[in-house]
Amino acid sequence: MGYEYLRKKRILLVDDEEQLRDMVSSMLTQEGYTQVRTAGNMAEALDAAEAWKPELAILDVMLPDGDGFSLLQRLRETTDVPVLFLTARGEDEDKFRGFGLGADDYVVKPFLPRELMFRVSALLRRSYREECPRVRLAACELDFERAEVIKGEERLSLTAKEFELLNVLYRNAGRIVTIDGLCEAAWGDNPYGYENSLMAHIRRIREKIEENPSKPVSLLTVKGLGYKLVLAEKQGRDS
Amino acid sequence: MKRTMRLIRRFLMLALGIGPILLILNLALFIAFTWREKSGGGGWDAAKEVGEELALKEDGSWSLSDVGEQILTEYRAWGILVENGTGDVIWHSGDLPEEIPLHYSLSEISWYTRGYIADYPTTVGARGDDLVILGHPKDAYWKLLWNSFDYDIIAGMPRMILSFLGMNAVLIFVIYMILATRILRSVKPVVQGMEALPEREVYVGEEGFLAEVAAAVNRVNEKLRAQERNLRKRENARAGWISGISHDIRTPLTMVMGYAAEIEEDASLPVDTRRKAEVIRRQSLKMKELVGNLNLASKLEYQMQPVKTETVNLAAVLRQAVADFVNLDLDGKYPVDFDCDEKTDKYILQGDKELLQRAVCNVLTNSQLHNPEGCHIGVNLHREAGAAHIVLEDDGTGVTDEQLAALQSTPHYMMDSGNGSQLRHGLGLVIVRQIAAAHGGWVRLNHGENGGFLVEIVLKCL
Repeated sequence: MGYEYLRKKRILLVDDEEQLRDMVSSMLTQEGYTQVRTAGNMAEALDAAEAWKPELAILDVMLPDGDGFSLLQRLRETTDVPVLFLTARGEDEDKFRGFGLGADDYVVKPFLPRELMFRVSALLRRSYREECPRVRLAACELDFERAEVIKGEERLSLTAKEFELLNVLYRNAGRIVTIDGLCEAAWGDNPYGYENSLMAHIRRIREKIEENPSKPVSLLTVKGLGYKLVLAEKQGRDS
Repeated sequence: MKRTMRLIRRFLMLALGIGPILLILNLALFIAFTWREKSGGGGWDAAKEVGEELALKEDGSWSLSDVGEQILTEYRAWGILVENGTGDVIWHSGDLPEEIPLHYSLSEISWYTRGYIADYPTTVGARGDDLVILGHPKDAYWKLLWNSFDYDIIAGMPRMILSFLGMNAVLIFVIYMILATRILRSVKPVVQGMEALPEREVYVGEEGFLAEVAAAVNRVNEKLRAQERNLRKRENARAGWISGISHDIRTPLTMVMGYAAEIEEDASLPVDTRRKAEVIRRQSLKMKELVGNLNLASKLEYQMQPVKTETVNLAAVLRQAVADFVNLDLDGKYPVDFDCDEKTDKYILQGDKELLQRAVCNVLTNSQLHNPEGCHIGVNLHREAGAAHIVLEDDGTGVTDEQLAALQSTPHYMMDSGNGSQLRHGLGLVIVRQIAAAHGGWVRLNHGENGGFLVEIVLKCL
């Protein structure tokens, strides 16, 4: 059990800067990812994509024979591989453009290795969840495919809202998700005024997933800010 | 424009006021000039008096007394006495012109008494049943020969005068209005153009009597716009240059940061080496902040960063900024105490979410950068007098009074040509100020209660 299967995912890293490619690929290797390939330009990247079928692509925006956005467009014609952008341009329009074209995440240069590793692992977890739908918490397991909590012999089903909330917390496991972020995930565009409902839902989730709901260890409150889901098994530096 | 209209109205009132004043003035002048003139009866009185001074002598002839002679001299007039019945002249003064007849028929008398005898204007008086006629010098009087008027005209005179005056007034008003409108019509575009000059591109049609002024306005406009374009071009170049540098520096910085972090975390290396790597990583983090801030500051400075306003819940923005900060603080060296009123709908405002988040993030990062050993940060959001107050306070090293004074009195990092050493807190806080200002708010800097640094951002709420 755990996320070892994610370490076997094929990761394609595209950046024109050779030294940066070396550094990032060595970071990924140290992190335990065994299948990392690199490409220095768009043509190489497209060849690699076709021949090797990567399961995650890390793309630089600036490439010698085009830009990351058009590369993404080309990739999207044949595959919906999750894509993370590495960009030296932090400006909004670039972000939106990237997301509009179907990018899944972006990291603005310069970044710390930990930040990039967190993003990569979160993106992989999110994209390939169905391959291992069970998530282990301190007192139970979550089965996202069936929207159930498995507590010993017992199986408790999650309501739609509880599922949404746990889902967004899991995607950001180990990090604070703000009250507003949770409300938005559960109630949509105009999430203000649902704080009390949110508290009620969190209480019910705790009753299902915690050993002792009044002393939570998996779903923690961060006073004034939001909540944090702590997974039972730390995989490397996932959390 | 309103002021111009007011001016025109005032002139109109003045013009209408001048009418009656002129009328009264003229009347007064007329009275003053004619007051001393002899009344129209002067010549007639003289004829009557001369009649009284005529006496019948014993020989049946008439003689004029000295007083009568004096009157004739005074009026430079000649006189005759026409006998009733015969029409003969029975007396005449010594200087009677030759052309004056000495016999008159009744019809002649009626004509001459009304008008002239041989062009001499006459006045008449009575001596008993006889008639005294004085002939005055030709330039003494002008006589109205048909001196009768319709009674209706006389009776209607007051009304007629009033209606004449009224019609005059209306005519003056109409003429004035036409003139004023025409002037206004040609002045209006010029005035409007001049008023709009500071804000936008202006063109005034160069015609009418203000054509030269209009041309001048157009020339000023061209000059202003050219200056604006040049300034804008320079600002763009400068901001573009800064943006380019900040872009180019990011990739090398990534490698510095990445390898430093790797060395720092490599347990197989000596502690001393790892400590040095930590210093490199920390310094490169500072550079990262600097690069990002420099870029944003120059964009805000030259108003190239559009402030996208939308309805923003400040509490949510603040929570997200703090959560992002805490999420990245993996060692837990910077615990944040977040304190906000539960009623978050109290903090709704029009603003740019990303920029506001950036402002809070900058203050938090500032605390982090200046307290490498870690510090406790308190974040408080409360509402006071219609404004949201974000108070961020750390218990770290803080600043000296001199540093605080320097920070408070240095409005422009980028413009500052003075001693840069005092600006250690500089750029990050300048951006906080710029962002607050772009939202109509302000920033207060102070010592924290626990000796740290305090930043208060005040923003107007809806």
